[in-house]
Amino acid sequence: MTGYILKRLLSAIPVLFGITVIVFLIMAMIPGDPATAILGNFATPENVEKLNRDLGLGKPLVQQYFIWLSNMLSGDFGTSFALNRPVLDEVLERFNATLVLAGTAFVLCSFLGVIAGVISAANQYGAADKGITFVVLLGISIPSFFLGMMMILFFAVNLRWFPVSGMWPIYGDRTLGVLLSHLAMPATALAVVATGVIARLSRSAMLEVLRQDFIRTARAKGVHERGVIWRHALKAAMVSIIPVLGIQAGFVLSGAVYIEIVFQWPGVGRMLVDAILKRDILMVQGGVVFVAACYVLFNIAVDVAQSLLDPRIKT
Amino acid sequence: MSLFHVTRQGLMAAGTALALTLGAFSGAHAQTPPGVLIVGQIAEPKALDPAAVTAVNDFRILMNIYDGLVRYKDGTLEVEPALATSWDISEDGTVYTFTLREGVTFHDGSAFNADAVKFNFDRMLNEDHPYHDTGPFPLAFFFSGVTSTEVVDDLTVRFTLDGPYAPFLSNLAYPTGLIVSPAAVEQHGADFGRNPSGTGPFTFGEWRSNEAVVIEANPNYWDGAPDLQAVVFRPITDANTRTAEMLAGGIDLMVEVPPVALSEFQGDTYTIHEQAGPHVWFLILNAKEGPFADVRVRQAANYAVNKEALVNEVLEGTAEVAAGPTPPAFAWAYNPDLEPYPYDPEKARALIAEAGAEGAELTFFVTEGGSGMLDPVAMGTAIQADLEAVGFDVKIETYEWNTFLGEVNPGLEGKADMAEMAWMTNDPDTLPFLALRTAAWPDQGGFNSGYYSNPEVDKLLEAARVATDQDERARLYKEMQVIVQEDAPWVFVANWKQNAVTSDKVENFALQPSFFLLLDDVVKN
Repeated sequence: MTGYILKRLLSAIPVLFGITVIVFLIMAMIPGDPATAILGNFATPENVEKLNRDLGLGKPLVQQYFIWLSNMLSGDFGTSFALNRPVLDEVLERFNATLVLAGTAFVLCSFLGVIAGVISAANQYGAADKGITFVVLLGISIPSFFLGMMMILFFAVNLRWFPVSGMWPIYGDRTLGVLLSHLAMPATALAVVATGVIARLSRSAMLEVLRQDFIRTARAKGVHERGVIWRHALKAAMVSIIPVLGIQAGFVLSGAVYIEIVFQWPGVGRMLVDAILKRDILMVQGGVVFVAACYVLFNIAVDVAQSLLDPRIKT
Repeated sequence: MSLFHVTRQGLMAAGTALALTLGAFSGAHAQTPPGVLIVGQIAEPKALDPAAVTAVNDFRILMNIYDGLVRYKDGTLEVEPALATSWDISEDGTVYTFTLREGVTFHDGSAFNADAVKFNFDRMLNEDHPYHDTGPFPLAFFFSGVTSTEVVDDLTVRFTLDGPYAPFLSNLAYPTGLIVSPAAVEQHGADFGRNPSGTGPFTFGEWRSNEAVVIEANPNYWDGAPDLQAVVFRPITDANTRTAEMLAGGIDLMVEVPPVALSEFQGDTYTIHEQAGPHVWFLILNAKEGPFADVRVRQAANYAVNKEALVNEVLEGTAEVAAGPTPPAFAWAYNPDLEPYPYDPEKARALIAEAGAEGAELTFFVTEGGSGMLDPVAMGTAIQADLEAVGFDVKIETYEWNTFLGEVNPGLEGKADMAEMAWMTNDPDTLPFLALRTAAWPDQGGFNSGYYSNPEVDKLLEAARVATDQDERARLYKEMQVIVQEDAPWVFVANWKQNAVTSDKVENFALQPSFFLLLDDVVKN
C-alpha cells in the first residue's frame, strides 16, 4: 500500500508542473496587464511602462516563469498587486474559509445524497423513490447562485433567521454557533446540486448490488432487511459511490466560487475572481496552483480509499 | 416497508433537530450598535496608503483618516484650506508657498510640520528617497511637475513646479495628495498601507482581511471631533448581496446602489441620497477614418441617440443627460448656456443623407463593466438600436474591461468607428487635456483615441492649464466646450449621479460631488 501511495504521489509531480505552465501561460496571454488595471483611465503607455517596471514585470516571459517557479518552490508565492500582501498568506487564510464552506457542503451532500440514494434503491418505484427522485431532479436543475439569492431573500431579508453574508459577525464573539448561522445558507446552497447527483448515482449503484447473489444469500440466511441494505449492500456499493464522491468534491470546490460571491464568503474562489478581474497575476497563479495541488492530493486520497475498500484494485 | 418506516422516524428527528437549530440561530445577528456606522463598500481596499491606491473604493476610507493641505469645500469642487491655512502663488504660477496649520499631530503622536509635507512628496516623486520603495505610487504623475519641495520654516513649505500648472491645487485636494505620518512610514515600511496614520477625523482601528476595516473617532481632531464612535467598512462585492444586507439591517449606509434596486428603498425607513459628480459617459467617435470623419455624421449620431431614454429607462434616473465634455459638477468651469443635442432622428437622417453616409456600417466597441461605465451592455444595445433607426448598420463587439482598455486606448484606427468610455476626474483640465488635444493622440501617449483635432481647442486647453486665475480658466473652458460640442468628437451621453442609501438611524449624511465619502459630521442613533 505504501508503494502504491508513493507511486501516486510521484505521478502527481508532472501534473502539478503542467498546471504551473498552463496557469502561467494563460495569465501571460490574456489581454490587459496589472498596470492597466491599476491605472484605469490614466493608463498612458508611459505610466503603464513605469508601473510595470515598478511591479517587476519588465522581464522576458521565460525568465519570469522560472523566477516565479523557483520562488514558489522555496515557499515564496510573491506579493499581490491588488491587495499588497503576500500571496501565500492570503491564499492560506482564504483557503481555510473555503475548506469550512466546501467541507461542510461536502459532508452534507455525501451524507444526504447516499442516504437518499439508498432509500430510493430500497424502495425502487415506490412512493419514497418517486418523492426523492422529484426533489433530487429539482435540486440538480436549480443553479446554485440563484438558489443562494432566493435563500438570502427569504431566510435573511424576510424571516431574518440568518445573516445575509460573511463568515463572522462584525461584532461579538466568534463562537461555533455564530459560525454555523453564517454557514447554514451557503453550505446548503452549495450542497444541493451535488446531493442530487450523488443520490442518483448511489441509487443505481445500490440497485446493481441488490440484484447480486450475495444479497439473496444474506436474505436467505435471515438477515434483517435493514441489515441487508445498510450493512451488506451499501458496503459493496460504496466501491462505486466513493469515486463519485471524489468527483463531486471537485464540483463542490469549484461551485464554491459562485456561492462565495453571492454570500460574500471570504474564500479562495471569490479571491480568484477578484484577482482575475484586477489582473493580479501572482495571486491568480499562486491561488490556482494551490487549489489544483489540493485537488490532486484529494483525488489520490480518494483512490487510496477505494483501493482499501476493494482489494480487486491493484496496489 | 419496514425500511421506510425507520427512515421516516429518522427524517422526523433530523427535521426537529434542524428546526431547533434554526430557532437557536434566529436573532444571532444583532442590529448595528448606535454610534457605530457600518458602511457597505464595493470591494476590499488595496491599502490605506493614499499614495499607493487608485480606487474610489479605497478613497472612501482614506478621506476619513487623512487630510490634505487643501480640500474641497463642502458640496463643491472648489478648494479650501485644510492642513494648510493659506497659500501664495508666484506671479508666473510656478512657485506655491503654503502656510501650515499649527498644533496638528498625527494619530501616532508625531507632529505635522513642513518636514512631514516634504517627506510625503519626496517619498512619492524622488526615486532616491529611502522610502520610495514603499510604493509603487501609480498616481504620482499628478505631481510630476513638482521639481522641488522645500522646508522654509517649521510651518512653511514651498513647492517649485517646472512650469505653470493650474490643476495643482485640486490635485492636492485629491487623495493622492493626502498627508501620511512620516514616523509611521519609517516604522512600518512597506506595511504602512495596513498600519495607516494620518491627521484626519478618524484613527485606524483594525483591518480584518476580507471582513472589515474599522476606524475610530479621533477626539483631538483639529476640525472638531466626529460624532460617531467608529465606522466599519465592509467589502460586499456583489450588488445584490449589498442590497440584501441593507434590507436586512446588516449595514447602515450603502454606496453605489444598483439602479434596479432603488425601488426597494422607497418609504420612511430609508433615505436615498443622490449627487451629480465630475463624471461624463460618452462615445468616442473615430474622426480619422470611416463615416465619422465627417463632422455632419458625428453630429447626426448625437441627434440620433435618445439620451433621455438612456438615463431614465436604462439607468433608471441615476444619471443626467450630458451636454458637452465638461460635467456640470465643475460648476465654476461649466458653460451653463450649453444645451444637450436634442433627440431628433429626422435631423440625424438629413445630416447623414447630406454627408452621403446612408447605411454606413459601424463597428461599436462595448465593454462589459468597468469603473464609471454604469450599465455599458444595456446602454450599448440601446444606442445600437437608436443608430440603426436612422439607417446605420451597427455591429457591436463586447470586451471585458481590461481587454477593452487595451483595444481602445491605443486608438480606434483600423478597428472600430466608435467606443464607449467614461471618465471621473477631479479637475476640469484632466479629461479634455488628455483626450481632446491633438497632442494627446494615442501615438503621443494620450487618450484621444478618436483622433479629434482642432487647433483652436488645443490653444484654449494649453492656455487654461497655465492660467493661475480661476475666472480666466473658467472663460477658456467655457469657450472650449462650445467648440467641442459643435465639432462632436464624441456623443455626449450622461453625467452619473452617485447614489447611496442610509437607514433611518443615520443623520447628517450628504454625498459630495467629489464622490468622496466624508463621515465626520454623521450621526448614528
